[in-house]
Amino acid sequence: MKKMAIHIKRILFISLLVMGLGLWSAPSGQGAEVKELRIGIGIDADTLNPQEQTTTLIQNMCDLIYDTLFYQNPEAKLEPRLATRYEMSKDGLTYTIHLRKGVKFSDGTPCDAKAVKLTLDRALDPKMRVPLRFAIAVIKEVKVVDDHTIRLELKYPFAPLAATLSLTICSPISPAAIEKYGEGVREKPVGAGPYILKEWVKGDRIVMVRNENYYGKRPNVAQLTFKIIPDDATREAMLRTGQIDVCYKPLPSNVAALKADPKIRVDMPLDTRTIFMGLNCKKGVTQNKLVRQAFNYAVDKKAICKKILFDTAIPMEGPVSPILFGYHRMAHQYDYNPDKAKELLKKANFDFNQTVSMRTPQGRYLFDKQVSEAVQAYLQAIGVKAELRTYDWPTYIAGLLKPIEQSELEVFLLGWGPLILDADMGLYGQFHSSVNPPKGLGAAHYSNPVYDEAVEATRREQDPKKRLELFKKASEIVWDDCPWIWLHVEKFVIAYSSKVKGMVVTSTEKFYPTYVTMD
Amino acid sequence: MLSCSRLVAPKIDWNMLRYVIKRLISTLPVLIGISFLLFFMLRMLPGDPAQVLAGQMATPEEVQNIRHQLGLDRPIFTQYALFLGRLVRFDLGRSARTQNPVIEEVWARLPNTILLAVAAIILACLFGIPAGILSAVRPYTWIDYLVTSMALFGISMPVFWLGLMLVVLFSVILQWLPAGGTGTWKHVILPSITLAAFVVAFIARMTRASMMEALAQDYTTTARSKGLKESVVVVKHALKNALIPIITVVGLQFGLLLGGAVLTETVFAWPGLGRLIVDSILARDYPVIQGAILIFGLLYILVNLMVDLVYAFVDPRIRYD
Repeated sequence: MKKMAIHIKRILFISLLVMGLGLWSAPSGQGAEVKELRIGIGIDADTLNPQEQTTTLIQNMCDLIYDTLFYQNPEAKLEPRLATRYEMSKDGLTYTIHLRKGVKFSDGTPCDAKAVKLTLDRALDPKMRVPLRFAIAVIKEVKVVDDHTIRLELKYPFAPLAATLSLTICSPISPAAIEKYGEGVREKPVGAGPYILKEWVKGDRIVMVRNENYYGKRPNVAQLTFKIIPDDATREAMLRTGQIDVCYKPLPSNVAALKADPKIRVDMPLDTRTIFMGLNCKKGVTQNKLVRQAFNYAVDKKAICKKILFDTAIPMEGPVSPILFGYHRMAHQYDYNPDKAKELLKKANFDFNQTVSMRTPQGRYLFDKQVSEAVQAYLQAIGVKAELRTYDWPTYIAGLLKPIEQSELEVFLLGWGPLILDADMGLYGQFHSSVNPPKGLGAAHYSNPVYDEAVEATRREQDPKKRLELFKKASEIVWDDCPWIWLHVEKFVIAYSSKVKGMVVTSTEKFYPTYVTMD
Repeated sequence: MLSCSRLVAPKIDWNMLRYVIKRLISTLPVLIGISFLLFFMLRMLPGDPAQVLAGQMATPEEVQNIRHQLGLDRPIFTQYALFLGRLVRFDLGRSARTQNPVIEEVWARLPNTILLAVAAIILACLFGIPAGILSAVRPYTWIDYLVTSMALFGISMPVFWLGLMLVVLFSVILQWLPAGGTGTWKHVILPSITLAAFVVAFIARMTRASMMEALAQDYTTTARSKGLKESVVVVKHALKNALIPIITVVGLQFGLLLGGAVLTETVFAWPGLGRLIVDSILARDYPVIQGAILIFGLLYILVNLMVDLVYAFVDPRIRYD
């Protein structure tokens, strides 16, 4: 008891939550009921178990069925959901999470501390298939304090922990459903969210109906029908003809036309995802920093955004997306300057007779192959012989994850989209030396002890202002070292009928139609 | 008093039955051959299915765990033997992605694929055969040139483009038909027309060639000299004899339609097997690819058998002894 009292004394109760008066409230909304909202999407779900999912769109669906502990709103503010608040210990190693009382899963099972512990324990269990486990791997242990309180013990201080709890992977799953269906919960999802899965016709549609026992404000849309329409042009045609109300990710080339149509509204917030050309820092011609900087000057990123991506992206002006906490626009920019690029190559004694090997996936990111071809052309324009190879994603990813001794990478296109609005997953997740393959996906094999120290400090520091300064320092180091050709930040494009009002669209490529109204 | 007609047992053609059974038995080595080629060719593809499932950030241990769960860490011949063992019990395994039995995944989409293929082949026959006959009966006239040009157009036109054009015209501009999806008969029209366009062209060209040959035969001249009406000569004498190659083409095209509708399925959001296979290839979901292609193989063999049997009905000289 005494120990506990001392422990409690040690705990600094910071009401991080962060976040305005909405903190202790459930999601709310109002307006005339919408009977059905038809949403056109490009892919079918493989699993509706939130812990097995990596695809943002399907995570989005899981959020509607399960609900999350916290919710990071489009302004990066944390709002309460199934958890109402949290406290962090002074040393940053213990988080106490207070859960909302009286919440039940859609099958009637209480959504309490035991259920949350079971969920998180499953996510941390290495035997379970949890592709995004790395995001919560900092959690050492989950303890039940009482029916509505859990305590998380961390392996090391991790400032963005609370934001991490807004991830779909942490969404509580009904323990009764796990017992009843086992791994079958992937097809029979039971959560505490605003919707319940009604029907899943493989390859055709996923239908959800309102959870009448939802703890929050009654959802305004009675039924959500996700129609699987793989072709972008068909999806757009169906929106124009009124066969669907929402078109997920229409073709960038048609965004301007959609915007011009008064019957359609297009939202396109800046995404967390950055697209870049990785440059191998440990092997080949790109080992030389001057060469890497030269390649950055050689590419006209503005032209790529305008001509290839139809303004559905903006050039990178810092090492992460501008919407992340911790972003800084860099004072020095690598504006298109082929002369300067040639000059740097000359200074680096670059051998113009050798061929630089480039790789690109096809169909993974927006116009990925076309962007890579443009970069190839820009490099050729300054006299660099560049050969580009195209791969499908499974082949491509296998090549990226090889250790440096086996790596054949020189220049390669990749995208990286942090799951929460914090620069940590970008700056640590790509550039810290511990994420070099095969341990992580820092495929540029960037390693700089000064940078490592700077980025590690951002994790330890709990004061947001000081963290911002530390992020700035880390950003400046990596920006100068150029492990990437800093290409662009994508925008998340979603088009819907202008009759639909109140759609919530976030920068993490998610949208929430729960409380929309229709004219 | 109730009158009852005399029930006559249908006459069984034992030769035919024996032939069918023999053919069905012979499908087994063919299917084993397909499974062998498929199994080992898939494993030659670069890319690790365990890595795809584990995600980009998985640790090597996590990837190894999944590899073990999928049985991919065993020697390749052991994997194949286990696969064959399951196959004997009609078990196609479970999808690596969804963990559902492959048979369920395939079964959920197979009826859609068959519906689309049947609708397309019916459309293709309805238009292709008369067009070919017309073309053969009036050779080197404007009708013949029109049919030949249309056939060339149909063969050359990209399915994807035609599908999108039909969507623009009938869905966006005229708003007569849905642009995609399933559910009503209206949903079948545009994808079946798209799919049929290519096949119509093939059938029309084959019908024309076959009919022209038949019309030049002595028996046609004899029929005409007997004073039969031209329509009787064309339909009853020439067409009947010209049908064999047409049936062959229709059968082969039907088999291809079952497996080759990926683009049409994509354009019209048609939940068929083609897309399932493509998605599974992209995810290296070996069990689904194997299961779905084996079922295609089986269907293709059955369609060929049906075609062979139809020959006998069309041409009494063909006997299966």
